[in-house]
Amino acid sequence: MSDEIIQLETPFQFNEENKKQFDELIGRYPIKEAAMLPTLHLAQRQAGYITPAVMRHVADLLEVTVMKVKDVVTFYPMFFEEPVGEYVIRVCQTLPCALRDCKVVLDHLKEKLGIDVASETNLAKGTTDDGKFTLMKVECLASCDVAPVIMINDDLHKNLTPEKVDQILAELPS
Amino acid sequence: MVQERRILYEHLDVPNINTFDVYRQHDGYKGFEKAIAEYQPDDISKMVMDSGLKGRGGAGFSTGLKWSFVPKDIEPRYLCCNADESEPGTFSNRYVLEKNPHLLIEGILICCYAMGIETTYVYIRGEFTLGKKMLDAALEEAYQQGYLGDNIKDTGINVNIYTHPGAGAYICGEETGLIESLEGKRGQPRNKPPFPAVEGVFMKPTVVQNVETLCNLPFIVDKGVEWYTEMGPTYGDARFDPPKPDQNTGTKLYCISGDVNEPGVYELELGLTCSELIEVAGGLRGEEVKAVIPGGSSAPILTHYELDTRLDFTSLTLAKSMLGSGGIIVMNETRNIVDCLLNIMKFYAHESCGQCTPCRWGTPWVRDIVQRIADGEGRQEKITRPKFGIAEGGRWGDTGETEEIYEDLDLLESVANNIANVDTMTWNTICVFGIAVSWPAVSYMRKFRPEFEAAIREGKLVTLSVEEATVPPEENYAFQQRIIPKEMSELA
Ligand SMILES: Cc1cc2nc3c(=O)[nH]c(=O)nc-3n(C[C@H](O)[C@H](O)[C@H](O)COP(=O)(O)O)c2cc1C
Ligand code: SF4
Ligand code: FES
Repeated sequence: MSDEIIQLETPFQFNEENKKQFDELIGRYPIKEAAMLPTLHLAQRQAGYITPAVMRHVADLLEVTVMKVKDVVTFYPMFFEEPVGEYVIRVCQTLPCALRDCKVVLDHLKEKLGIDVASETNLAKGTTDDGKFTLMKVECLASCDVAPVIMINDDLHKNLTPEKVDQILAELPS
Repeated sequence: MVQERRILYEHLDVPNINTFDVYRQHDGYKGFEKAIAEYQPDDISKMVMDSGLKGRGGAGFSTGLKWSFVPKDIEPRYLCCNADESEPGTFSNRYVLEKNPHLLIEGILICCYAMGIETTYVYIRGEFTLGKKMLDAALEEAYQQGYLGDNIKDTGINVNIYTHPGAGAYICGEETGLIESLEGKRGQPRNKPPFPAVEGVFMKPTVVQNVETLCNLPFIVDKGVEWYTEMGPTYGDARFDPPKPDQNTGTKLYCISGDVNEPGVYELELGLTCSELIEVAGGLRGEEVKAVIPGGSSAPILTHYELDTRLDFTSLTLAKSMLGSGGIIVMNETRNIVDCLLNIMKFYAHESCGQCTPCRWGTPWVRDIVQRIADGEGRQEKITRPKFGIAEGGRWGDTGETEEIYEDLDLLESVANNIANVDTMTWNTICVFGIAVSWPAVSYMRKFRPEFEAAIREGKLVTLSVEEATVPPEENYAFQQRIIPKEMSELA
């Protein structure tokens, strides 16, 4: 039975460079478990999303149970348990952005990409079929002075209009 | 017009101020060097106490007093810098991290020196990838230059600073949620007491301090307490004889967004009025101010009658609101308050950490009621209940009369008040997230009741004129109960 599960999954292990980063991280805290969030970020960057294999590996490294890792992963919105697009687009929806027409930006993105907005339990419905984009709503990104804003992966884009969105998407490296 | 007073932000736009050399050329690390050369750690704590510095992260608690609670005989002690900045409408910490990270490092060093702390974690919200990158780079430089690490500048002091990324949960901004999260767990706040100052991260004494609070320290040390306390009003608490001084010293990085012409961060001395701040931010975008949120989305809303309220800790608290994180959100005459409340309630319903039943269930319930009203499906039934207003003796209270109110509005108020009661200021929740939910819910409904009533009556969102939408001052619970504090100089 367990053999079967292992075969279905892609195994996971930190690559050389991430292993080095992890070793440095772990030295920062008096207990290993405290390195949980940075370790999960590192793992998600390598694997794309948090698979059961990732959780097992992280649990082994931090010497905690897999359940404990799962517990953390489910709490934080930035960790994904399903595949996401190459570009994750986060559209801020909170009041200051709403006062600056963020809905127009969101609707434009929905129409342009032909997808719905992903929900925490269903990332697939907000992901394009080619796996290029995932569209998500998020809360205040602490940039309300340049609202409306979106984040595409790690980059913030400010003062958006539908035209600007088109331009930004066109300039993304494919 | 009130002038900006740039201190923390003075060098923010200097090219390459994020590098050690340029920061040095602009008096960088002068405060820290003065601290280690001229003062004992206890002197620094005393200076911070005397400066009247209050925490800029939300609670506005005296920094000096917080430090005095930390037991000096338990080792190790920790500093957690709160760079989670997730309160809607707040964005001043981001600029410090991205543009002037050495200022934060210097502030941390001074705090560590004063408190004998050797390890600091800077908890940065997960979305601040650029901010984290800039701070990490600055930390590396500071290590190379001997301002961090072991035996700093041959003083025998050791300080290590580590950045720690969050992962998108608002509640990790609450200090004990932050600590839990830092320990690698779900960011669920802890019961207090024990307070973090006594038992915080890894069960050791921990100082939790906002980025902006820490950035004040180099200036307090470098330029002195006297210079610092000249900024901002010092009120006298007239309940004491002689009046007890209540300091609102220093500048504040006011973040202003929404319907103003030039949204942004403005560093001003504490204590200007709401209307003055709108002027500083290029004036209103629109015809009339309908409402202002003075301290991040958790703060009770102000009507146009309350725009003379001074934006400092004391004045806003006495006006039954709060300065909170200093995020000011302005709404003009075209805005619908029901719609605005719905937006905010969606935020809180999503962000409750789920530990306490009143908060876990109550917050989505409040959201659902507001959603129903906004969708035009508010319940038409009315109920009769005691009417509060100006009662005998001219004070706010039960008038002995009754009023009719839509069932949904009564329900909205009572569900919110059962999470945390805004009148008695009591709650049955572990953290003050509860009051951050009920404050907006109750204040929007009470202060803009006509707009809520119109939505229920008409079966759709109706945006009334500012005059029609706002309850008159005589019926405004906060306006009637507010106290306008007097400055010490006026009382003398
Ligand atoms: C729900 C909630 C969210 C909070 N979010 C933040 C935040 O994002 N940043 C912050 O500095 N303080 C936040 N606080 C306030 C902290 O609990 C704490 O008071 C503060 O970090 C202490 O630092 P200070 O005294 O320097 O302000 C929040 C509080 C609550 C109840
Ligand atoms: S009040 Fe809400 S956010 Fe705070 S601990 Fe309780 S459930 Fe969590
Ligand atoms: S509300 Fe969008 S960045 Fe603050």
